[in-house]
Amino acid sequence: MNVVEMLGISKQFPGILALNNVDFDLKEGEIHGLVGENGAGKSTLVKILTGVIKPTAGSILIYGSKVSKWDISEAYKYIGAVYQERELVPFFTGLQNLFLGFEISKGSFLIEREMFKQANKLLNRYKIEVPLDIPVNELSPGQQQMVTILKILFRNPKVVVFDEPTAPLSLSEKKSLYELIKNLKAKGVTILYISHYLSEVLDLCDRITVLRNGIKVSTVESSKVTEDELIELMIDKSIKEQYPKECVELGEIVFEAKNVSFDKMGIHDVSFNIRSGEIVGFAGLVGAGRTELARAIYLGKKFDRGEIYIFGNKFVSKSSWHSIKNGIVMIPENRRTEGLILDLSIKENLTLPVLKNLSNMGFIAESVVAQISERIRERLSIRCSSLRQMVRTLSGGNQQKVSLGKWFAGKAKVWIFDEPTQGIDVEAKREIYQIMGDLAKNGAAIWFISSDLKELVAISDRIYVMRKGKIISEHQRPFNEAQILRQMLGGEEF
Amino acid sequence: MIKKEFGMTSFFAKYGTIAALILLFIVFSIMVPGFLSYSNFINILRQMSLLFILSVGFTMCLIVGELDLSFANVASLSSVVVAKLIVSGLNYLISIVIALSIGASIGLFSGILVTLVGISSLITTLAMGIILSGVTYMYTKGVSVYGHMPAPFLQLGRGMIGSIPILVIIMFIVLIAAQVFVKQTRFGRYMQATGGNRTAALLAGVNVTAYKILGLVFSSLGAAFTGILLTSRLGAANPEGAAGFLMDGFATALLGQTVISVGRASPIGTFVGALLVGILNNGMTLLGVPYYVHDIAKGVIIILSVVITSIHALKLERA
Repeated sequence: MNVVEMLGISKQFPGILALNNVDFDLKEGEIHGLVGENGAGKSTLVKILTGVIKPTAGSILIYGSKVSKWDISEAYKYIGAVYQERELVPFFTGLQNLFLGFEISKGSFLIEREMFKQANKLLNRYKIEVPLDIPVNELSPGQQQMVTILKILFRNPKVVVFDEPTAPLSLSEKKSLYELIKNLKAKGVTILYISHYLSEVLDLCDRITVLRNGIKVSTVESSKVTEDELIELMIDKSIKEQYPKECVELGEIVFEAKNVSFDKMGIHDVSFNIRSGEIVGFAGLVGAGRTELARAIYLGKKFDRGEIYIFGNKFVSKSSWHSIKNGIVMIPENRRTEGLILDLSIKENLTLPVLKNLSNMGFIAESVVAQISERIRERLSIRCSSLRQMVRTLSGGNQQKVSLGKWFAGKAKVWIFDEPTQGIDVEAKREIYQIMGDLAKNGAAIWFISSDLKELVAISDRIYVMRKGKIISEHQRPFNEAQILRQMLGGEEF
Repeated sequence: MIKKEFGMTSFFAKYGTIAALILLFIVFSIMVPGFLSYSNFINILRQMSLLFILSVGFTMCLIVGELDLSFANVASLSSVVVAKLIVSGLNYLISIVIALSIGASIGLFSGILVTLVGISSLITTLAMGIILSGVTYMYTKGVSVYGHMPAPFLQLGRGMIGSIPILVIIMFIVLIAAQVFVKQTRFGRYMQATGGNRTAALLAGVNVTAYKILGLVFSSLGAAFTGILLTSRLGAANPEGAAGFLMDGFATALLGQTVISVGRASPIGTFVGALLVGILNNGMTLLGVPYYVHDIAKGVIIILSVVITSIHALKLERA
């Protein structure tokens, strides 16, 4: 019996087809794994399943009958989702959180005893152990997750979705989560389990669905597939020729880190180098420490051990402006909240870092500002009606060009690109790769962080793989994509 | 790619303040005898000059994205400090410099608490305001300060050049200086960037800590200067002399954020705000409207201007 059936689901976002004619079903009482690379369409599928977004095409069947209107409140009746960010009131106890909005009361007075009784029933039914009488912010991440799950089970859902549930958990907490999931299955609850950790998925799930570029590759019985076979299914081989890699003569080492550690951030003993003309990719999962490492160096956070060299000279940054002065620049991950000042104009954004050189006794030379901005606009073909236009009104791709364009007026040597193509359309992506290629040709050293393995493999000269705050390997062209992916994901031990 | 907005709300968001100003002007011209005259016009400008100088400092604070609830208390303190020093016989220029330095130090101290210690500016400056109010009483023992003040000092607040009060001239000098500073120097640009998006500004190499502190220093400095001018105008100082400026200052600066482009503070916008509040005060006084109605009108103005900015902000988020 299928609890949920999704037929011919497509989702079109501006410039991107996130899901393309996907058929997907959940059998009653199964544990179903959902895997795929970043951008494969996993979260889009889950959002459609939970009614958060509407599909462009396709239909949803519940117990075999078609649902005419599928939205959050309809999905709520059948499906509960455990996301990483927990929806708990921090200083409420587990019990208060559990009964929030459903308090048992006599008149206006709460009856705690009755609520405890009901909560205990629930705890016993699913064999969960978690204290419900202390504020949840005093609980461990795993215990907080248990309270969240309990809150969902309280509604008696048919399907429970787990989205990367083990990321914040300790080993023993993971074990109790797996126990719980198996108990749920035994009680007839259907589980959808999304994780990057393939060994986990293989051990836990009955069936596994693999998504790739918005297409369902296949749904397999987990007993009939190995981890390597899963990885092969996840990798897209057709994509490489879409982004031709230009060959550039490599020069001297521009940037070098030797055994750098930021203990507080969990970054240990990181050593790498970037040559002039080279694009060096950093692969890894979100939370592997790639962004944290780049930011800490750029912002001049104090490192606990190690050395950094620029053109062979020892360098200790004190602040972002100190890094910029020494030729290191950064295009941050989230352009709208970190890369741009949305309510300033294009030219004001483009010249912000070099304003010191464009002003005399503090007064800005507006004609020079306009000239330089115009040159950058032409070079990056930023499409706008005027350079006085507010950046807020630009499209995503053009915003990204402004975000990186602001470094073109300076003398940057090391360019840190953090997820530069996130959320922009295919055409704009191609332009960004082109810009990065041109920079490399002109001798820049490019530090390229991306969660999209396809693009990393396509345009990098070398790739470092990071996991849990460490660089675990270095890869040369031609890349073995499957091997990189395997190292990124890592065999998560039970 | 470029979204054009039409409709009533965006019209009011864009031109509402100016429209209100014109409307108010016409209504008072018809209803109030003597409103439409050169002497009353000069009168309005003189009455609003102190309010403007105070509010333009606060505007600098808004530009870097912080609030200041202590400016009225800074103005009162500065007012009695300069009065006591001068009455005690100290040279008036030195007295002015001392009062300004005290103002700047207060802003610096609040700025350090806000940026380096990380207390919100709302709480920091609220507490600072209360402390300063106590300090002012302690310093004056609660009584007004008066006595002999040299003529040149009194000229600041009372003198005329031709038929124009010196206060009005000072106001226009401050307006032009502040507007040029914000729009045409890199320091002003950095302040706007800091208030616009702190993280982005930091990543672009702007020393956001320094510019946040600078915003608070300007706010206190403007207030201290206002206090000095107040003493000069009255020839005396009162420990609560500038208390009434808190509401008017807020009304003015918040109104100012709705003038040129919604949600962005600027000296010229604050000038329009001060003009509106000035005309409102003047017209209502001439009409014989009781003082408590003034307060109601100003409260309504604050709410309206904030409503306009938040509607506009919502629209931008959705766009």
